[in-house]
Amino acid sequence: MSTARLSTAIACLTFAAAAGAATPPANHRNFISCPIVRDTPTVPCWLAEYGGELYYLGIQTDVSAEFHPPLLGHKVLVEGTVKDGPRICGGIVLEPLKISPLAELDGTCNTILPAEEQYTVPFAPRPPGPSGGRLAFDAAPGSPRTAPPPLTGPQEFALYYDFGMLVGGRHSGILSRIYDYASSQRKPKLAITCHRGSTLLSDGALIVEREDLASDRARELVKLLHGAGLEAETRVEGVAALAPADGNADWRERSCVVRVEP
Amino acid sequence: MPRSAARLASAAAALAVASAVFAERPNAVAQWWAPGDGRTLPATTSFTNEHGRTGILNTGGAIDTHGQPFFEPIGTNGRACVTCHQPADAMSLSVDSVRARWDASGGKDPLFASIDGANCPHLPQAERASHSLLLDRGLLRVFLPWPPRARDGSVVAPEFTLEVVRDPTGCNTHPVYGLKSATPTVSVYRRPRPVANLKYVTAAEFGVGPFNLKDSQPAPRDPATGKLVNQNLMADAREPTLTTQAISAALTHLEMRKAPTANVLERIVGFESQIYAAQSFDTGAGDLAEPGGPQALGPAALAAGRTSVLGNNTTAYVFPIGDVWRTVPRNGDAVHDAQAAARESIARGHDVFFFRTFWIKDAMHINTVGLGNPIKRTCSTCHGMHMTGMDTANGWMDIGTTNLPWATEKPLSPWAKEAPEMPLFKVTCDKAPAPHPFLGRVIYTQDPGRALITGRCNDVGTIVLQQFRGLAARAPYFSNGSARTLRELVDFYDRRFNIQYSDAEKQDLVNFLSTL
Repeated sequence: MSTARLSTAIACLTFAAAAGAATPPANHRNFISCPIVRDTPTVPCWLAEYGGELYYLGIQTDVSAEFHPPLLGHKVLVEGTVKDGPRICGGIVLEPLKISPLAELDGTCNTILPAEEQYTVPFAPRPPGPSGGRLAFDAAPGSPRTAPPPLTGPQEFALYYDFGMLVGGRHSGILSRIYDYASSQRKPKLAITCHRGSTLLSDGALIVEREDLASDRARELVKLLHGAGLEAETRVEGVAALAPADGNADWRERSCVVRVEP
Repeated sequence: MPRSAARLASAAAALAVASAVFAERPNAVAQWWAPGDGRTLPATTSFTNEHGRTGILNTGGAIDTHGQPFFEPIGTNGRACVTCHQPADAMSLSVDSVRARWDASGGKDPLFASIDGANCPHLPQAERASHSLLLDRGLLRVFLPWPPRARDGSVVAPEFTLEVVRDPTGCNTHPVYGLKSATPTVSVYRRPRPVANLKYVTAAEFGVGPFNLKDSQPAPRDPATGKLVNQNLMADAREPTLTTQAISAALTHLEMRKAPTANVLERIVGFESQIYAAQSFDTGAGDLAEPGGPQALGPAALAAGRTSVLGNNTTAYVFPIGDVWRTVPRNGDAVHDAQAAARESIARGHDVFFFRTFWIKDAMHINTVGLGNPIKRTCSTCHGMHMTGMDTANGWMDIGTTNLPWATEKPLSPWAKEAPEMPLFKVTCDKAPAPHPFLGRVIYTQDPGRALITGRCNDVGTIVLQQFRGLAARAPYFSNGSARTLRELVDFYDRRFNIQYSDAEKQDLVNFLSTL
């Protein structure tokens, strides 16, 4: 799909000419396309097509996984690095990988491929139904659990966002850690700094989050933390300025940092 | 015909009619527990239903209900909590019981109080049609302010506008009770939930934190203790605790002039917390709680069970029934062998519930919680709470029971004889937030569900999962009573998720669900 057509289809995105004709790293694959589900005899795997090639994104596991699969009915922004090695489910493996389901609905993203004999995922940590007794990425029963060292002094907590989005379900853990640490202090002070981001796509196009998203992210965090009952003097900054995108982990700019000072 | 014979024939005819009316619940009248009855509720008792008998276990022992506020008409309209939480109906309210009360009382039972036992208070209360949603679907009117109010009374700015598209009850467009009245109000219609097994419903040791797991919104706390609550009470989770729910129910359903005293609330909540309800006898499978039988069945198992346990695994199970009924030997005795076949069907139904995979797609607050859309999973993915089949985390989801296009609707055509029964709202979400991930920015719904409390577009049509216990005693199903039978419930899922159950799978699943 050409950049022009893409920008029409995805109204929420802002495309801009890549400053200085930047070129993303050759082994990176940053693109927007429909996700594809491929069934297997166990859990389904997730793929996306770009430039006539199929890329493997991950498999269905559960909420303990780092990889949260995308959504049919939505295009997905894929930001990944080609990993040498065998294909999985027919796709070239991208690792590390960050995916962002885009907000607007797209009914053309509706492909579920049937299982085929040659595509299996023997490494799946759990079956598609009930688990064997623990979540996919929880520690095995009986394995040593090392509690994280107790936090002291000023602490910074980083939240990373899907492209164009605010807080979602996956942020409940980090929000709870912020809340727990701050509320354990007698007079905590919060400094919330949020950014918007841009991503240099593999075709050279630049996609940019809307200008007021950084301040919206900051305001939302204040609302959530205070809404949960946290009483803290809070300084807020939404940084609208964009850091240059180079196609290499640009997703790190889509973030907020919450600094908690005791 | 001699006069006596005529009377006999007349009586027989009347009996035949009554039998037809109450064929599914032969003791619907006798089993009714009226406010202020003053009867003793034994420590254990059971009540008949079409699938067998539902057992009630009171872990506090037998109680004299005289003076117990759960059973007394403490409001102004003659109702008590027990009116809509009948022991015979697994502490909920079946439509069979509703109809029996209508017939027995000529429509004058306090159950039909105009405030919410009628489709709308302005309707002529003596007419059956004015109570059709209660009589036909077991629904009570739930009226909520619009826009929503937070617990401190402040206005919640909604992310969407709400329009009335269809108003069969006349309530949402009424100048006094409607959305454009002086006190804008939304009326939706929902089933009463069972007041039993509540230690599971209120447990907050798993999946509960300062922020909801599904959308990271701040989780509410018990106003009395400051502790986090799990938000599985009520269809829209609007009340955080049994105590606040009792206050709200007393002021609305019972029309009390002021909130109950602390002592009354303590006694209500104390009673509610010691009641367990589950099917205890199945007409086909026999005693469900017999020694050595499936460990999850019967009310005593619920009283003994562990709370806050995720059961979607092969260690705890949602409903652990073991293998005892998986293969039951036959001995040639017809009665025994029929019972054996029924027990094996129940075991197979369990496996359909627990292991049969299908694609769960476009379900808000399940496909959006990090699992992907679609996910290949089973019933127990969502219905994962050990012993109840509720959600362990904040349990509202949208599987399409109230949102179009999946909600059950009467077909409109020149040949249709039935008209739509439920209101229909048009929800238009603001442009600022991201659109609803599966329904976009315009949603049609019979009941906005949780969104009437949060004002959030993503919550439109989301309903808190109900527990699965005592199902046989309390048809119809879903919050809007749209499934008249367990088979219709199974058919809804089959249609919604294109599961392609076989008839045998459906029957096994129904047989299993009816034993819970």
